Amino acid sequence: MYDFTTLVQSIGNFLHGQFSPGVATALEWTLVILVYLALYAILGLVLVYVERRVCAFFQLRLGPNRVGWAGTAQTVADALKLLLKEPVTVNKADKLLYNLAPFIITLAALTVISLVPFAKGLQAFDINIGLLFIVAVSSLGVVGILLAGWSSNNKYALIGAMRSGAQIVSYELSVGLSLLTMVLLTGTLQLSTIIETQANGWWIFKGHVPAIIAFFLYLTASIAEINRGPFDLPEAESELTAGFHTEYSGLKFAFFFLAEFVNMFTVAAIATTVFLGGWMPFHLGDWAGFNAVMDFVPPILWFFLKVSAVIFLMMWFKWTFPRLRIDQLLKLEWKYLMPLNLMNLVFTAILVYLGWHG
Amino acid sequence: MEKIIFYILSAVILSLSLMSVLSRKLLRSAVYLFGVLTAIAGFYFLIGYHFLGAVQLTVYAGGIVVLIIFSILLTHDIDHQMPTPDWSRVAVAGALCVAGAVMFVQLLQGSLFSRVEAPEQSDLNTVGNTLLNPGGGGYLLPFEVVSILLLAVMIGAIVIAKQRHSVDDSSPEKQAP
Amino acid sequence: MNWDDLLLMRHELQLLAVILIVTCAEIYLSGRDKSRIIPLSLALFGIHMAAGWLWPVEGELFGGMYRTNGLIHLMKSILDVGVFIVILQAGGWARKQLAPENRVSEFFLLIWSSLLGMYYMVSAGDLLMVFLGLELSTLPVAALAAYEVLKMRSAEAGIKFILTAGLASAVTLMGISLLYGSTGTFVLADLGKQMQGNSLEALGFIFFFAGVAFKISLVPFHFWTPDVYEGAPVSVAAYLSVISKGAAVFILMILLMGFAPLLTDLWVNVLYLLAILTMTIGNLFALRQRNLKRLLAYSAVAQAGFIMLGFMSSQQDGKASIIYFMLVYLFSNLAAFGVVQTIEMHTGKEDIGDYEGLYRTNPRLSLVMLLALFSLAGIPPLAGFFGKFFLFMTVASAGYYLLLTIAVINTVISLYYYLLIVRAMFLRKSDNPLPLVTSDGWMRAGLVICVAGIVALGVASGVYDAIYALCAHL
Repeated sequence: MYDFTTLVQSIGNFLHGQFSPGVATALEWTLVILVYLALYAILGLVLVYVERRVCAFFQLRLGPNRVGWAGTAQTVADALKLLLKEPVTVNKADKLLYNLAPFIITLAALTVISLVPFAKGLQAFDINIGLLFIVAVSSLGVVGILLAGWSSNNKYALIGAMRSGAQIVSYELSVGLSLLTMVLLTGTLQLSTIIETQANGWWIFKGHVPAIIAFFLYLTASIAEINRGPFDLPEAESELTAGFHTEYSGLKFAFFFLAEFVNMFTVAAIATTVFLGGWMPFHLGDWAGFNAVMDFVPPILWFFLKVSAVIFLMMWFKWTFPRLRIDQLLKLEWKYLMPLNLMNLVFTAILVYLGWHG
Repeated sequence: MEKIIFYILSAVILSLSLMSVLSRKLLRSAVYLFGVLTAIAGFYFLIGYHFLGAVQLTVYAGGIVVLIIFSILLTHDIDHQMPTPDWSRVAVAGALCVAGAVMFVQLLQGSLFSRVEAPEQSDLNTVGNTLLNPGGGGYLLPFEVVSILLLAVMIGAIVIAKQRHSVDDSSPEKQAP
Repeated sequence: MNWDDLLLMRHELQLLAVILIVTCAEIYLSGRDKSRIIPLSLALFGIHMAAGWLWPVEGELFGGMYRTNGLIHLMKSILDVGVFIVILQAGGWARKQLAPENRVSEFFLLIWSSLLGMYYMVSAGDLLMVFLGLELSTLPVAALAAYEVLKMRSAEAGIKFILTAGLASAVTLMGISLLYGSTGTFVLADLGKQMQGNSLEALGFIFFFAGVAFKISLVPFHFWTPDVYEGAPVSVAAYLSVISKGAAVFILMILLMGFAPLLTDLWVNVLYLLAILTMTIGNLFALRQRNLKRLLAYSAVAQAGFIMLGFMSSQQDGKASIIYFMLVYLFSNLAAFGVVQTIEMHTGKEDIGDYEGLYRTNPRLSLVMLLALFSLAGIPPLAGFFGKFFLFMTVASAGYYLLLTIAVINTVISLYYYLLIVRAMFLRKSDNPLPLVTSDGWMRAGLVICVAGIVALGVASGVYDAIYALCAHL
């Protein structure tokens, strides 16, 4: 049920039937690019809306819950404002790098979502080393942040960029290590296969304690890696105005903004894929009836349900925890998360060696 | 199709590396280098060596270039430009480069590269098994030597960056009343 | 992996154990006890060196990536002796300068990691390991050259070294990739068989050679030598001039004489030219130096040229003369550097002019220096004479008489500047000569070993015969 493979294949066959192979391939690529660009924009809009609402609920902010029906006009207003604002450029900035920075960030964010498996057969780029590729590409975004901070020729921006550089480089390790722990269990890096290994139970349930530890380590570290609160030091408003994107306005600012939200989605999607079974429905042991009902819900819905849950968790973190100081942040990574991760990795390796994993 | 991509990537690599060498702004050079390294990763993906490509992205584009940019940020002076070299030096260097390139191309054209059988598939299992195989055709020893190399270099970096204070000042016995 | 395999990699495993023990000692000793690391390190390394000499074994590991035999074993043991003398001579300096800054153990760790790299390099069975060994032996030395980083010159030395080293390894890597492209293999044994002697291989080999020549500081690649020797701490300069150079000579010897028979004509011609250039330029520049460290640096360049003479013949005598000369050069040069280090540490002086009248105040140090310089110049009956003698014999038996003549002329030139120092120490009178310098026990032990080596190698003829016998198979 609900297998997208045939649909995707029939589109491919149609294109190949109509055009010559080269043109068909090019068309396929264009189609994929367009779909993902649209997805990118929609995700951004939806997440901005959700963020506004959640934040408003948590902090009793009045505006976002009142504008339009259920606050929907707020997003429209946000988007209009960003589109219509004057693109201010700093006089003594390095123009080329200043304009390049938002694109690098967007490119990194966009590339990563191409690997996310939304449902069976609904994945643009299913390579053998999926997880490694995600870790690799998501580490490119930091270049954009560093460039943005430097080329703005502004001390707040520079400090923000330096902070984010230190932060991302450190927390990347924990993200990688916690995913590596899971790779020990799954035995593969390919995202579609990882999901298939969870047909008889999600890893967070059948992966014993290490999987649970790895889940929380991953969540913490990747929230830090995408610069979200409580780790949003690079753009700490109270000290750095707006951090590395202080000097950006209008659409260029929107690029940073969008990339941040899409990154949040990606993190949640990876967490879902690796720990929460991806698009696999929730099953409970031998309850055949219950399982059948669960199977009835489309996988893509399952996927987005799980992702929303994780995203809600992340927003919850952001709006309830106070922001860390930079030394606390680095101490947390190097003195607590990293050793814990390494211990967890060794522990999991022993478990796998003994054959106790699901 | 693959050929077109190959030529596009090559053009990108060549032009960006030239720009990286010729640019007189430090950070721009680093950014062009970033482009070069990413494009090289593109080559690896093109020939289906996904693992190598991802490693190239992580280690070079995401790791080394970030370090380079980071260290340039520490010398924050946005107006800094390297001095323009003398035209005579440019001429000599250019002539040498062209001569070298001509000789090199000549040599490469004249000789056949011996073909090595590429592994059937370069998936992760093959990579892992080759990397950690102590027998013939395996690379366990270099793998371990590299880890020693990294340890040694790390010690070296730490010792250069270490704070200079005498042992007596920092020892807790002395600070205690 | 069984016991025999472990025994085969004994040198490396022992050294790794020493490195790990000292690392742990550094972690667990509290700040005040850190200076205890010096005797601990020396003792551990002494044990390692002594154990290293025993049971030479022959064999291969890791599918041919690691190989060893009697000759390679001897090379490693020679490097061991050199490193032992270097760290022995550095003991007092470490206690006086490094212990207050809490940077003792790192000095030893870096030297040893570099030595470990050299082990892997000479034992390498394929080009990948050669390159990794070359890197591992080079990179820690850059940190060592910049060890006194607060001194401008030392930091400069570190930067110069790492930049040149980076360039050299890039060129080496290019060479390796060309060789691989042409032959399709990394394995040294296959490389020799696959080679067709075409120009691509020649170019690859020259590129590869450039990287090694940088470490030997042959002439077009020698520019870093004087500056780095002058700026780096004296023990590091000594290390660079003897151990680093020795390992590079050894690997060059193994590659040229063992695995690249097809390129023989090429490298004989290349090295013929480089030997002449290196000897002459090194000596001529040494004539003008007033700073003793710079002078020794150029003398080291010139000596590298002499070593290249041994490569003129790929027969047994060529190999034996190179190894014997390295052994002799090790003792002589380390003795000279030891004296310079002692004087520099206690008085901070390092000019030839400062050495005037040294014999009156420091007779014993002057005598050691005299022996070392005479041995470097090649005056009988010291070991240096025999070292050069065998090299010249090699050249003569290969029939390169022009080269021989140039080499002899160069020996005379080198004698001149070595004698300049001797004259300053013994014949010149100075109104305010350097005060009496009391060297510490470790330095004294190091110098005694060096002097014993210089004298004994000149007297005992059995050493050369033993090396000659070992060189029968590479």
